Formats: sequence, C-alpha cells, structure tokens
Amino acid sequence: MATPLSPSEVKIACTNVSKTFIQKGTQEVPVLDDVSVGVRENEFLVILGPGQCGKSTLLRIIAGLETPSTGSVFLDNREVTGPGADRGLVFQGYMLFPWKTVLGNVEMGPRLRGIGSKERKAVAQHYLDLVGLTGFENHYPHQLSGGMKQRVGIARVYANSPEVLLLDEPFGQLDAQTRIFMEQETARIWQAEKRTVLFVTNNIDEALFLGDRIVVMEGKLPGHVRTVYDVTLPRPRDFTDMDFLRLRQEIIDASQLTL
Amino acid sequence: MSSNIANETTCAFKDRRPWTLRRILSNRYLLYTVSLLIFFFGWDYLAKMQGQEATASIARPKEVLLALVDLWENELAEYTLLGHAWMSTQRVLVGFVLASVIAVPLGLFMALNKYVNAVVKPLFDLLKPMPPISWVSIAILWFGIGETSKVFIIIIGTFVPCLLNAYNGVRLVEPELYDVIRILGGNRRDEILHVCLPASFPAIFAGLQISLNSAWTCVLAAELVSSRSGLGYIIIQGMNLSDSAMVMGGMAVIAVMACGTSLLVTGLERLLCPWKRKIAGL
Repeated sequence: MATPLSPSEVKIACTNVSKTFIQKGTQEVPVLDDVSVGVRENEFLVILGPGQCGKSTLLRIIAGLETPSTGSVFLDNREVTGPGADRGLVFQGYMLFPWKTVLGNVEMGPRLRGIGSKERKAVAQHYLDLVGLTGFENHYPHQLSGGMKQRVGIARVYANSPEVLLLDEPFGQLDAQTRIFMEQETARIWQAEKRTVLFVTNNIDEALFLGDRIVVMEGKLPGHVRTVYDVTLPRPRDFTDMDFLRLRQEIIDASQLTL
Repeated sequence: MSSNIANETTCAFKDRRPWTLRRILSNRYLLYTVSLLIFFFGWDYLAKMQGQEATASIARPKEVLLALVDLWENELAEYTLLGHAWMSTQRVLVGFVLASVIAVPLGLFMALNKYVNAVVKPLFDLLKPMPPISWVSIAILWFGIGETSKVFIIIIGTFVPCLLNAYNGVRLVEPELYDVIRILGGNRRDEILHVCLPASFPAIFAGLQISLNSAWTCVLAAELVSSRSGLGYIIIQGMNLSDSAMVMGGMAVIAVMACGTSLLVTGLERLLCPWKRKIAGL
C-alpha cells in the first residue's frame, strides 16, 4: 500500500512500542502491542482507528506524557524520555486555562520558555491571526464556542513553535458542520505553516481529507497497526471527489470496520 | 473568514418588550419590595397584637429603630453603637486574617506534598469535628476574658473551612491541565504557579466566605459569654434589661456587619479572579 520510509527522512520513529496499564494493582490491561510507525518531516500523518484502540495512548507516549512498557520513540534519532517544547499536543477536551484570556493562553508556551512579554505577544498575535481569532484576544475561554476554543488550542501549540504537532481527536466534540469547517481550516493552517503533524481520529472522512498518509489501527485492545495508506489526492480535497470515495471504500473494505 | 467568526459568537439582544401590567407585576425589583414590605408589616402586626407594654417579647420595627438611634447617640459601657460594632468587627477581622494566612497555605501544602499531608491530616481530622463554640470555656481559662481569647476562638472557627477548601481546591484541579504545562515546556514550579493556584482560587474564596460566617458566629458566642464591649454585649445587656428592642437591634447590626465583611471578600475575589467576573456578567 504505502511506500517504505528511508531512514534519512524519518522525523519520528516509534519502534515496537507496547503499553500495558496496571489496573487496581494487579490487573494488566494491554493497550498497545508492538506498534512501529515512522513519520516524515513536515508530513501530515493520520492515525485512524475506532474508539478504545490505544491511539490516544500512542500519542501521549510520543508526547512523553506516558512511558512505553517496551520499545521506544525517537525524535530526530534522539530517544523521547519526557514531555518537551519540541512537541505540541492539542487535546480533545481543549484544555485551555479558564483563568487566562485567549492571548494569555496562546502566549503561555513562549512565556514558560522565558521569552519577553513584547516578543511573545507578537508571536501569539501572529498565530491568533492565522487561526482566524483576530479581535478575540481579551476574551476568556468560556466566552468562546467549541470550534473557537480548539482554534485557541491549535494557536497555543503553534505559538510554542514545536517541530511536531500532535492532535488527539481535536474535533471530536464539535458538531458536524463546525467539524468540516475546522478540517478545512486545519488544512489551510498546515499549508500556511508546515509542520510534522500526527493527527489521531476515528473519522475516516477527516483522515482522508487531511492526511498525507493514514495509519489504520485495529479495533480491539491491544491496539496495533493494521495497514498504512498513502493519500496522494491533490489539495484542497473534496469530500465527494470520485478518487476520495474510492479510497474511502477501499479502506473500509480492508479494515472490515464501520468507521 | 471574519463572518464565520461573527456567527460563532453569541449575540445579546436588547429587551424591547412593552411595559404591560403582567410584566410590571412580574418585575424582579417590585417583587423584592413586596416581599420585604410583607415581612415588616407582618412583624409589626404580630408585635402590636401582643400589647403595648415596653417589656413585650417582640419589639415593633419602629422601636428597634429607636433603640438603635439611642445606642448610636448614648454610650453603653463606654462605647456608642459604632464603637461596639467596630470592636466586634475588629475581632472578626484579626482572627479571620490570622487564620486564613496560616490555613490557606497549609491547605495548599497538604494537597501538594504527601508528607506534609501525612503529618497534618490525622491531627486535623481529629480536631475538625469539634464545634468551635466548645472552645469558648477553655479559651477563657487559658487566655482570660481579654481580646486574646476571643481572637483565639475565631481562629479555631475559621481555620477548618479555610484549610479544607484550599486543600480540596487543589485536589480537584483537572489533571490534564498539568499535562498542558508540561507539554509547553514548563516544570513543577510552573504547574503550581499557572495551574494549581489559579484553579484553586475560587474554592479558596468559597472557603473564606464560609470562614467569615463562622467568624461572626464565634465572636458573638465569645462576647455573649464574657465581654464589656461588642455587639454580643449589646444583645446580652438587652436580654438582662428585658429590652427586646435592644436585642433585636443588636441582631440587625450584626447582620449588616456580616453582610458588609462578606461583600469585602466578594470584592477581593472579583479583583483576583477576573475570569469568574466575566462568567457572572454573562
């Protein structure tokens, strides 16, 4: 299906990553089983899988928030040992700071890295403009709609200028219309400022609309990679394009899942 | 682009309905007034029912007002009404500030450090269920009938809610918010400074409000037992003189003072938690 990756172009490499959670002291819950995924520089990689297949755990492992039980994650050939500003994570539940304004949320990353007030405000403003939130700098998160909150989440990650963006079902809580609009926006923002992106979703249309490649994960725990697809459709993509629908059918048939 | 954003924001519509009778009758402020008028007239009626003698157990609203004016103008045990009110408020504020300055940081430390928690929690759980009023007698035995014993009782009464709320405020912080700080490159100090403290502010202030209530209860109890000044002293004097107007006047002044200090804390909360202010204004 997919063209193999040459070692030189790999930005992130997960090699034989497994994760087992211990529940109630003794009960072992295997969540990931021997997952190996490579991501190219400035590639938009989508991890597609149904709920409860360990895809969010994989993302948290890459982010450094969880440690793998076996295997390791490499970023630019350096092993990941913890969270760091070189990777940015966008959460499904937005996770904005309710006590900070939109601008305060977005400038948080540069602020933690000790960048001066003037400079970080300029950076934050740039990304607020990019995500289309000009004029909302002094609003508080609870004053925004779900779509706008996630724009803040995306701008906050961009403002920290990470090498890798990790998005964990970022539009899972949005209604269908806003979701499609946000997908278009994500494609636009990514094309404006390319980054290496890992995007986790359970929505096949979202995966096909956004991804350069799609990693399909198996539905039952422990999760593992089933197939990898190259998506060479031209951008901007169209949900009703014949090639789009053909590939969609192909993935559904192969994975025997109602995605 | 911009039009999409505009559609996403909530719009406030101006109320342009005409002033119908139904709307006037259902007006909030009119109903407030009606409710208060019914209360005062009902009170006055009840007081009138039981006769005109000065020793009647329910004073009429007018008599309460006159008693207050009398206390305002003439000294009772060296202080006028204002002096007594200030004595009580002073005790409340000193005890309340001392207690919160110790209890809030201690609660935060307990929530953040399991060793501090392990040392303090059992002692705290042991003393927590004891009603603060039960300390009145022992406080007088220890510190005499001066200011120290009163402030001590207030500290005892305000300590528990201050500490508990600060502790719970930290424990209830959304754990993923810490992940955000770590992802953005922050350390433990940043987690505490940018997530822990602001997230627990509302709970801390809820605790301060409860504490303040408790402080007024405690100061009153202390003053009723032994005092030559304060609003509790006015009440106990009224009781000894069988002057119900004086007792009720003292009660009314306490209500006003407690309300005032509570507003002070609310004001402080609005100052320190601007994001809460915007929620209330929506």
